[in-house]
Amino acid sequence: MDVAERENLEAMRRWTKEAKIGEGTFAVVYRGRQVSTGRPVAIKKIKVGQFKDGLDMTAIREVKFLQELKHPNVIELLDVYSNKSNLNLVLEFLDSDLEMIIKDRNHVFKPADIKSWMAMTCRGLEFCHRNWILHRDLKPNNLLLAANGELKIADFGLARDFTDPGSKMTCQVITRWYRPPELFFGARAYGTGVDMWSVGCIFAELMLRVPYMAGETDLEQLKVIFRALGSPTEETWPGHTKLPDYVDLGRVPKPPMQDLFTAASQPALDLLQKFLLYDPLKRISAKDALHHKYLTSLPHPTHPSKLPKSGQPMKARPLPPDELDGKGAAVTGQGATKKRKSSTMGEDGPRKVARKLEFN
Amino acid sequence: MSLPHPLLYPLASAAQLAQTPCRADGIPAWLEEDLRAEGCRLIQSAGILLGAPQVVMATAQVLFQRFWYVTSMREFSVSQIAMGALYLASKLEEHIARMRDIINIFDLLLSRLRYSLAHPTAPPESFKYSPMSYYSNEYYTYKDELVIAEMQLLKRLAFNVQVQLPYNTMVNYLNVLGLGRVEGIAQKAWGFLNDALQTPAYAVYPFPTIACAAIHLAAREASVCLPEPPEHEPWWELFDADLEDMEQVCGWVLRLYRRQDEEERELVQNLLLGGRREVRQWLDEVEPKAST
Repeated sequence: MDVAERENLEAMRRWTKEAKIGEGTFAVVYRGRQVSTGRPVAIKKIKVGQFKDGLDMTAIREVKFLQELKHPNVIELLDVYSNKSNLNLVLEFLDSDLEMIIKDRNHVFKPADIKSWMAMTCRGLEFCHRNWILHRDLKPNNLLLAANGELKIADFGLARDFTDPGSKMTCQVITRWYRPPELFFGARAYGTGVDMWSVGCIFAELMLRVPYMAGETDLEQLKVIFRALGSPTEETWPGHTKLPDYVDLGRVPKPPMQDLFTAASQPALDLLQKFLLYDPLKRISAKDALHHKYLTSLPHPTHPSKLPKSGQPMKARPLPPDELDGKGAAVTGQGATKKRKSSTMGEDGPRKVARKLEFN
Repeated sequence: MSLPHPLLYPLASAAQLAQTPCRADGIPAWLEEDLRAEGCRLIQSAGILLGAPQVVMATAQVLFQRFWYVTSMREFSVSQIAMGALYLASKLEEHIARMRDIINIFDLLLSRLRYSLAHPTAPPESFKYSPMSYYSNEYYTYKDELVIAEMQLLKRLAFNVQVQLPYNTMVNYLNVLGLGRVEGIAQKAWGFLNDALQTPAYAVYPFPTIACAAIHLAAREASVCLPEPPEHEPWWELFDADLEDMEQVCGWVLRLYRRQDEEERELVQNLLLGGRREVRQWLDEVEPKAST
C-alpha cells in the first residue's frame, strides 16, 4: 500500500458513520462522529454511478471551493476520503437551517435577530466574493444554523469562480424565488450581484415570514418581481432590453415598500432596496452592505447564542439572557456531554433535526 | 491583493522529489521525465481537438504532473491518467467535456501513435482512423478507465485540486521590469510557460518562480539584459524567486528541446501505448535488479 492509499485509509478511520439522515439522487447524508473527540459531523457520501459521467459536478465544485474557504460563516469541510468508488465529504454538523426557523410560527423575530442573521450572511458571503467565488444558490434552506446560533453558508454545488470577466456562465442557476431578473433575461456574464439579490430576497423573507416573491414559473416570477418592485426602465436598469431573453411585460408602477414592510426601520428598507436594485452593477456589494447604516446603527444585532432556535417548542425566550454568559452552549445541553466541551460545535438541546439537504 | 494563504495549492516535498514512486520502482529518471512529457503532450493535443480553452489543458497537466509524485507508472497507465486529468480539469474549469468525446479523441490519438510506430516510414497522411462503434466493448473499457482515473486523481491528490497558473502574474512581472512592450519577449515567455507544463515544474515550484524562469529564458533568447549581479541586485529577488530554482525550471524546459534518441523515443512511446502492463514487463526484463 502506498502513501496515498494509507492516508486515505487514515482519513476514513478518523470518522464513524451513524444514522442516515437524508438521501438524494447523487448522495446520501449520514450523521457521524469524529472518533477522537466525539464531535458530531455530517458525512455526505457521493455515489459514483456506473451510468453517470464520473463524479458529479456538484461534488467536484463542493470539494474544490470548500477546500479553499475557511470562515466562521461558511460551512467547514473537515475531511474528504474515498471508500471503494464512493466519495465522502465530512462536513460540520448543523442541526437546522434558516428556513425551518422562518416557518416555525412559535418564534417572533426581533429586528435585532434579523440583523444578526443578515450580518452573518453578509460576512460569509463577503468572504466568498473576496475569494472570487459566487455561490449561486442562496436561499434560507442553504443557510444552516449551528447549535450555538452561528449561521453558515452551505451547499456549494452550484458555486463557481468568476475571475475571468469575459467568461460565459449559465443563467440556469439559483432557486427561482431568489433568482435575479438578469438571469431570467438570459444574462451570461454576471457577477456578485446575483448573490446579493438572493440576500435581498432572504432579508425580505425574514421580515415577512413568507417568501417575498414566489412565482410558479419563470415568466410568472418576473411578473411577481415587477409587481413588487415596479417594472425596470432604461433609467433604473440601463441596457436590460438588450439582454438575450428579454421580454416586454408592460409597465407596472413601483408600489411604496413601506406598505408591505410596515415594521421595517428606515435603514432596513434602504438596504433592502439596495439589494433589490435592478441594475446588477448598482446593487450593493456584500462588503458595502456590511458598512451600511442598517448594520452599524442600533439596535445591535442579537448575539448568535441568543437567537431563536428551531426545535424546542419555544415558550418564552430565556429572558435575562446574560445569565448564560460565559457558560456557552453546554448550559442547555444534556448533562453528559463532557467529551465535547469545545466551543465551536457544542451541540445543545436534545433535538436531533436532520440537516435538510437537497440534491437535484 | 495577497491572500491569507498564498499557497492554496500543494507542491511536492523534498522527499517526494528525491525519490518519486516511479524511481522507487526502478524506472530511471530520464524515462519518467520523458513519459511525463509525452503524457502532457497527449493532454494538450486532446484538449485542442476537444476545443477546450487552454486553462483546461494547463490545469490537467498540472494535476497529471502532481499525480506522479504520489503514484508509480507501474500502478497506473500514463495515458489513462492523462485522460482522467483532462476530464477532471474540464469539470474544475467549468468547461465540462462529454466523456464520449474525450474517449474518442484519446482513441484517435493513441491509434495514430500506434500506427506511426508500426509504420515508421509511412507518411502521416496514410493513417486512416476507424472510430469504434457506439456500444463497443472498447468504449466501455475506456469509460471504466476514465471513471477510475478521475477518482484516483482526486483520491491520491487528497482532493487538493487547486491549481494556480502563472500567466497573469508573469505579464505583471514583465510590466514591472519594463519588458511589457519589448518586441517578442512576452510572446516567448508565454510560450515557455506553456512548454513548462510538460515538465514537473508546476508541481514543484510556486508560480512566481516559474514566471521568473520563463522571463529569464525569454530575456536570454532576445539578448535583453536584466539587472543581475555583480553590478546590480538580482531582478528576481523582487519576486521572491531563487536563481537555483529558476535554473532548475529552465533546465527542465530546455531539456524538452533536445534531439531525442530514436531508441529512447520508441521506448517511451511503446510504454505510453502499452500502459502499466508494458511498464511492468519492461521493468521485469530490463531492470530485474531494481524491481525487488
